[in-house]
Amino acid sequence: MSTKTAPVRVRDSETTDDVSPEKPWLVIVWNDPINLMPYVTWVLQKLFGYPKHKAEKLMLDVHHKGKAVVSSGAKEKAELDCFRLHGYGLWATMSKSE
Amino acid sequence: MPSFELIPDEGLRVGFDRIEARLLRELVAEMKLLLEVDIPPTDPVLERLFPQASDDPEEAALYRELVGSELKAVKVEALRLVADRLGQRGPLETSIPEEEWDAWLSLLTDMRLAIGTRMQVTEAMMEAELDPEDPDTPAMSVLHWLGWVQGSMLAAIQQEDEDGHFE
Repeated sequence: MSTKTAPVRVRDSETTDDVSPEKPWLVIVWNDPINLMPYVTWVLQKLFGYPKHKAEKLMLDVHHKGKAVVSSGAKEKAELDCFRLHGYGLWATMSKSE
Repeated sequence: MPSFELIPDEGLRVGFDRIEARLLRELVAEMKLLLEVDIPPTDPVLERLFPQASDDPEEAALYRELVGSELKAVKVEALRLVADRLGQRGPLETSIPEEEWDAWLSLLTDMRLAIGTRMQVTEAMMEAELDPEDPDTPAMSVLHWLGWVQGSMLAAIQQEDEDGHFE
């Protein structure tokens, strides 16, 4: 069960957008006392295609430090990631990186 | 106790006895009410199921406008899929196809979030031994049982990953 998708070819005219000085948005998952650790790991693997060790490390950061940045990018991507995390019941917020 | 077994090309075979299946049906009905009834969005359970996406009230309102109804639709659809598979009465012996796993796992989460948020659980409460005299014990037992069901489902479906490929 893999959620990895093929890389998308981006036209040159669009790649210039990627180097805009705009600061990326960060998607943060917060600790909660209810969600189970293996479930949080599974969601991070499934949504972001992270290998298990990376998803586990993020999950442990959430558990021990109270939060972890799980993805970043343009605002639209942050909104979509937040939406998908909320769909799986994780407590996620988005904010513009400082 | 419920049983879970991954059957290749079929799905996750699950077995719940009459009492377990009835409990699940009751919880599904409660979740349905929670999503259908016009409860103020400031209710802590709804706030947890549909969290604020930002500290910035303007950003939070924009996000809610953008995805609020879609997020609700995702949750309603998960409820429908699980309710259909649970049926009306009796014990449950069925195979859950892969395309329905997400609905089960996320609905089990939402049920746990609803119970846990209502009870204002803390990590200490989650780890404490259950006291038969404590009035919270029945609800805590359901919360732990749902967690056990979810953990068992996850372990069963991840079997495939671990057997299939290594990362």
